[in-house]
Amino acid sequence: MYLPDFEYFNPDSVEEACQLLLKYGSKAKAIAGGTDVLVKMKKELLAPEVIVGIGQLSQLKKIEYVPGKGVVIGSGVTHNEVQNSKVLQEKYLSVSEAAHQMANNQVRNLGTIGGNISNAVPSADMPPILIALDTTAKIVGAKGERTLPLEDVFAGPNETVLEHDELITEFVIPDGSFTGSTYMKFGLRASGALAVVGVAASVQMEDGVIKDARIVLGAVSPVPVRAKKAEDFLKGKPAGEEIFAEAGVIASGECKPISDIRASAEYRKDMVRVFTKRALNKAANEGHV
Amino acid sequence: MSKEVSYLNMNKQYSYVGKSLKRTDILDKVTGRGKYIDDLKFSNMLYGKLIRSTEAHARIINIDTSEAEKLPGVKAIITAKDVPSIKYGLSPARYDENIFCTDTVKFYGDKIGAICAVDEETVYKALKLIKVEYEVLPAVFTPAEAAKEDAPQIFEEFPGNVNTEIHLEFGDIEKAKQEAYYVRTDRLVGQRTLHGFIEPHCAIAYWEGKRVHIHSSHQSVHYLQHHIARIFDMKEGDVRVTLPYVGGGFGGKVDISGVDISAVALSKITGQPVKMFFDLEEVWLNGRGRHGMDMTYTTGVTKEGKILFVESETILDGGAYSGLGVATSYYAGSLLNVLYDFDNYRFDAYRYVTNLPPCGAQRGHGQPHPRYAFESHLDHIAEDLGMDPIDLRLVNARKANTVTPNGYEVKSYYLTEANELARDASGWKDKKGKLPVGRGIGVGNGGFVTGAGFCMYRTDLPHSIGMIKVYDDGTHAIVYSQAVDIGQGSDTVLTQMAAEAMGFPYEDITICTRDTDLATLDFGAYASRQTLMAGWAVKRAGEDIKKKILIQAAEMLKVKEDGGYRSGKLMPEELDCKEGLVFVKQEPGVNITFAEVARAYFVKHGVLVGRGYYHPGKLGGKHKGAAVGTSPAYSSATQIAEVEVDMETGVTKVVGTWDVHDSGCVVNPQLLHGQVHGAFSMGIGETIWEKVTFDEKGKLLNGNFAEYRMPTALDMPHVDSLVLDTFEPNGPWGVKEVGEGATTPTLGCVANAVYDAIGVRVAELPLTPEKIWRGLKEAREAKEKEGK
Ligand SMILES: Cc1cc2nc3c(=O)[nH]c(=O)nc-3n(C[C@H](O)[C@H](O)[C@H](O)COP(=O)(O)OP(=O)(O)OC[C@H]3O[C@@H](n4cnc5c(N)ncnc54)[C@H](O)[C@@H]3O)c2cc1C
Repeated sequence: MYLPDFEYFNPDSVEEACQLLLKYGSKAKAIAGGTDVLVKMKKELLAPEVIVGIGQLSQLKKIEYVPGKGVVIGSGVTHNEVQNSKVLQEKYLSVSEAAHQMANNQVRNLGTIGGNISNAVPSADMPPILIALDTTAKIVGAKGERTLPLEDVFAGPNETVLEHDELITEFVIPDGSFTGSTYMKFGLRASGALAVVGVAASVQMEDGVIKDARIVLGAVSPVPVRAKKAEDFLKGKPAGEEIFAEAGVIASGECKPISDIRASAEYRKDMVRVFTKRALNKAANEGHV
Repeated sequence: MSKEVSYLNMNKQYSYVGKSLKRTDILDKVTGRGKYIDDLKFSNMLYGKLIRSTEAHARIINIDTSEAEKLPGVKAIITAKDVPSIKYGLSPARYDENIFCTDTVKFYGDKIGAICAVDEETVYKALKLIKVEYEVLPAVFTPAEAAKEDAPQIFEEFPGNVNTEIHLEFGDIEKAKQEAYYVRTDRLVGQRTLHGFIEPHCAIAYWEGKRVHIHSSHQSVHYLQHHIARIFDMKEGDVRVTLPYVGGGFGGKVDISGVDISAVALSKITGQPVKMFFDLEEVWLNGRGRHGMDMTYTTGVTKEGKILFVESETILDGGAYSGLGVATSYYAGSLLNVLYDFDNYRFDAYRYVTNLPPCGAQRGHGQPHPRYAFESHLDHIAEDLGMDPIDLRLVNARKANTVTPNGYEVKSYYLTEANELARDASGWKDKKGKLPVGRGIGVGNGGFVTGAGFCMYRTDLPHSIGMIKVYDDGTHAIVYSQAVDIGQGSDTVLTQMAAEAMGFPYEDITICTRDTDLATLDFGAYASRQTLMAGWAVKRAGEDIKKKILIQAAEMLKVKEDGGYRSGKLMPEELDCKEGLVFVKQEPGVNITFAEVARAYFVKHGVLVGRGYYHPGKLGGKHKGAAVGTSPAYSSATQIAEVEVDMETGVTKVVGTWDVHDSGCVVNPQLLHGQVHGAFSMGIGETIWEKVTFDEKGKLLNGNFAEYRMPTALDMPHVDSLVLDTFEPNGPWGVKEVGEGATTPTLGCVANAVYDAIGVRVAELPLTPEKIWRGLKEAREAKEKEGK
């Protein structure tokens, strides 16, 4: 319950941060809000000798709409900033709402969207909705930069494909054709509970017919996964409760959750069914909510 | 939303009693100026922690402290060999806890030793260097495992791992069985829960010559003083206990937690003040929360629902040591007869020791689980009889001025009125049986003792002593009492009472509590005792002052008589004193300030002191265990909850709650409503979410507020707190308790509401979404099978 000693760097730019990460290699850890890293350090699950602070970098703090590109969200934006962003509330209220459902006010005030993604916890709340909206992540390293679909950033529980000197600088939700999206978090109390199951859905509706859909499941596999069979099943079908219920059953069959202190695998599977159905209904009928 | 319905306590003309006056501690607490134990600092203070077992049941082969001792800054490390070999506990019949484990550790987290160093960081580093070698022994984690014939024996003194066994029988069960129209048996299970206060245990001790001064976070300065003196073979007068503000207790700070003993021992060795503190997880390891209970009730009733007999068996998961568990075991059965009036009752209980943290008292001591089980059982009986559940309770509710078969004298008791008012306020008649699937309403009854009739250890001491001192110039008064305000507001209530009794302004009184040197004896905050017991002592001290003031004033006031004046001839009985003014009752215009009179008294006699004494007298019957549950007064309460259950996910949302309390005269309505709100939060949490959980090796899994889920503000429903302003002849101004009793009906009413909503009884707490989901699924599958 005591923070071990470490050296702290406060770089002025992403480039400098990457250089520091390169220099200190596996001894170093980047820290944005610190709501994951500091907790782990106190529990002695992590003992970096060097900490590189990136939470103060103004480069990473923007949320803006760039015509032709989409909504750009800097990785250093806090959950409360995501929640309160006018741009997001207008374009993708579903993303703001997902941030609002996280943790508690104190943690939302510190924790960042970049930290939430990079921490790569299976129950994390931001990945499903962002993946459902085809979000990409811009990754900058000491040797250059690359852009990946967010879906491909996750490698396993607590693992991403990022190299040691790489940081995510921004997320882009591209201008797309989705007409509605939502994230439904199922936690075991109203606030301050991790997701037992999280389901994000996005749909492209045209005259009552589902042209395209994404269903992304959180907390039921090592990384956030798409229920692709259920997505395929929906394409071209008329929207309706029965269709969505059927998609729920298919999605439930696709996931392979584990049992833990919070819930059994059996229960999680059935909750995937319930929340897939509900999320699709909501996204189809209410837009981005 | 809160209302008072005053129809039982008619004569209310008080200046301070009965008013929601501002709490005495409010400014300190909202500004952060108030000091809690963690805020206290002393020069040269050392920091210490307990060394805890990492096995659930094991023999200690060796404790190697050599590496830790070499670490710069480490000042002392102690184990069993360095401390008195005396055993302690809270029930003198079962002192079974060693200061540090001598031979075997009995649960994961058991105390092996203590260490102190110059700062916290060094202590944590040193802890990691201590190596304990164990021979691991087979362990038991449930009463069922503990009861097996070949189960490992955890204590020599508890053969079969049975720590407490109770067999009580009143009336003639066999005869009642013959007469019963309907008999039903139900079995329900209540889980292990924890108090959930936010301030972990902590103690600071230092020696001043032969005396030791302990600052702690505790519920009783007296018990802590008594046990420290006993353990260290000292005179009680050589042990001073002082508490700063206490951040909650709920029963979890009555026991000796180990921070206290080890701070005393380590400061003796080092000659420096030593602060011993828990991390949050250690609060769970220290335990002393609610026992897990497995309860079976068989009840026979007449056609009209009158209870003829109850047979019950309760199995308690005690954890490693006794603590207050003997009393818990008795409490689990003893108060059922207070609530419901029936003559034939059998209560059997077995408290097993297991290799888990010890259980003890938690708000409502031993009551909430049995209340949950019996209130659920009653709802099934009502259903089977085709009766409204509230009607069934009205048929059986105890009345005032009766005596229970187990020997408790019940004076004021208005459970009938509580049921009726709760029923009407909640709109019960329009809801019960008429709500759509997934929505339900449920009722639960409860109540509690207002202070225990006996001290926890055997003594002839009075239960509370009050003292009030008036300042030399008469402008201010100090109230002394060792009553412990753990947040519930006893300082405020006692100050209101002193002001009322003296006839002196509330805002000109300071209260001095929580200090064995400065304040006068009170046993502390447990068994919902302070408002009545410390209240009597303070009231009598205040009346003593007033008596002296009126005598003095009689010499000073002049009344016009037959055109002339008479002086000094007034009799004290002709005077009264209120709100700082002494006046002639017949002629209130003739008056003088309290301060002037008090100053005159001081000039003539010296310090103006009032003294008050309280002892409840001899209470209760003669059978074994008769003492537990005796009390000068019993509160009663009815709660109703309305819930919405998501039939697909099993998620329960409590959408409305009503509480009607028969608490006697309510000294401070705001504080009562606070207790009721808190009780709902605690009770709803225990019904739906909370459970202390361990892995298969007895290691704690959820020692934090993220995974031990208590309700947040967002989970809380609207609370409608209603008061029956009743009068209790055994209480000062007619008061009774509210603190603990308020939690006792909650589990039952919420569980009954869930049953009403879904039509399936999930018979084991907590009613988590998954359990409800599974219950619904199994019911559906059973129905499908039947259909085929
Ligand atoms: C009480 C509590 C409740 C919580 N509840 C929830 C919840 O409900 N839902 C949920 O999803 N999470 C929850 N969390 C987890 C956590 O708050 C979030 O994951 C948060 O978004 C982490 O952000 P951070 O900035 O604090 O991360 P940090 O702790 O600073 O970093 C986390 C990890 O990400 C890396 N990192 C940070 N920024 C970047 C970047 N730009 N590029 C590459 N790597 C980076 C760090 O090196 C580290 O490995 C909770 C945490 C706490 C303490």
